[in-house]
Amino acid sequence: RINSDGKPAKFQPPPKPVIIDKQKQREERRFLSPEFIPPRGRTDPLKFYIERKDMIQRRKVFNIPEFYVGHILAVTTADPYANEKTNRFVGICIQRGGKGLGATFVLRNVIEDQGVEICYELYSPRIQAIEVLKLEKRLDDNLMYLRDALPEYSTFDMNMKPVSRLEHEEIPVNKLQVRMKPKPWSKRWERPKYNVKGIKFELPEKKMKEAQKWSRPWLEFDMLREYDTSKIEEKIWKEVSEELKK
Amino acid sequence: MMPIWTKSGKKHAVTLLKVQDCHVLKYISKEESGGKTSKLLVGGKNVSPFSKSESAMEIFKEAGVPRKQKVSIFNVTDDAIIKPGTPLYAAHFRPGQFVDVTGKTIGKGFQGVMKRWGFKGQPASHGQTKTHRRPGAISTNKAAKVYRGKKMPGKMGNIYRTSFGLKVWRINTKHDIIYVNGSVPGHTNCLVKVKDSKLPTYKDCNKNPPFPTFFADGDEKLPEDLYDDEIFQFTDPSLTYA
Repeated sequence: RINSDGKPAKFQPPPKPVIIDKQKQREERRFLSPEFIPPRGRTDPLKFYIERKDMIQRRKVFNIPEFYVGHILAVTTADPYANEKTNRFVGICIQRGGKGLGATFVLRNVIEDQGVEICYELYSPRIQAIEVLKLEKRLDDNLMYLRDALPEYSTFDMNMKPVSRLEHEEIPVNKLQVRMKPKPWSKRWERPKYNVKGIKFELPEKKMKEAQKWSRPWLEFDMLREYDTSKIEEKIWKEVSEELKK
Repeated sequence: MMPIWTKSGKKHAVTLLKVQDCHVLKYISKEESGGKTSKLLVGGKNVSPFSKSESAMEIFKEAGVPRKQKVSIFNVTDDAIIKPGTPLYAAHFRPGQFVDVTGKTIGKGFQGVMKRWGFKGQPASHGQTKTHRRPGAISTNKAAKVYRGKKMPGKMGNIYRTSFGLKVWRINTKHDIIYVNGSVPGHTNCLVKVKDSKLPTYKDCNKNPPFPTFFADGDEKLPEDLYDDEIFQFTDPSLTYA
């Protein structure tokens, strides 16, 4: 081939094909439910092992899907006093607490202008189904500030259809900044103790600066508070995934 | 402590107790001990034999057993005597039995009268001078003395206390764990003494317990987990109300 200059062009090899190995990408994403990680303390590891066996046993019979704080879930429980003995509740997960068999999650919804929060136990036998309707992570681990936010941010339709989602994709993070009701709030969310990133603070600069007085910048350097869970998580993840595959 | 659910959907909190290297140490006959029944000495967890004198180790040497951290005495009838040196397992108890658990409570040190005895103290304001958590009056005028046993500040905790009538929900024979209803005196990983309940309501609750005890080398092969009838086992599907 001859270039526009008249000199023969240097041989350019074609670009190498980029092989995206989807199998490998699939394996890389691991999710270990936070209630499997044992808290720091002086209890015998045998107790956590036995609890884990029970949790895995329950997971084999009943599917507990992967979900984070900020997902919208629909939970059906067995209720002896309801019409059809089942009770369905849809809400956004604002908090996941507890370790081991007593792990809980709190769902919030606003029904007919009344805010309702229900705390469900993950391993309770009364729960008959958990469906994830919408997957989206939020900027915080704890959405308790939705109690003081405008009710439109906590209302979800009871008959919402599950939003379809491609598998093996990253869970989208919703960077929504929530607008709040006028003060007083149930907690002083502007203080650095709560480390809330998902609120659009419309307070004057002076108040925000005053709130920073309560910051404790030495906490992140405190070595006694460090709890490195990476190795523990790896071991537990191997154990749990092997048992669940059986 | 762990949650446990029954088939009716109710949740109960349960304490896990592990039976760790329990052996029968000595048999003391009725005449020797001077009581109404004969006694059996039972020892708990194994510890190193080097920190105690030779005389204390005699009992362990005769039984042929390593030194135990806790030694407790059980009153037994003559038909329940066991040879010293036999190991005891968690399968000695069965689900559905009722049990008393004795242990040393968590030591709180020297405590004031409000925490130790639950006194109300005095108001925080309205003119109180240096008196907010004090006992106030300790006796009347006519008595002209302070009675013995008056509740006053002192060392709290670190004494033996018993919780009575605890139900046994589940037994794990592989790891020797007893699941006992409710809470038990003592801190985590402390040694406790577990006995059959002495309460009159639970006198007839033991239906064919292993008597005198469960022998591991016997012919009985127990399944790994023994459950009470009312427990919801995790192998079953979720509960539904009919």
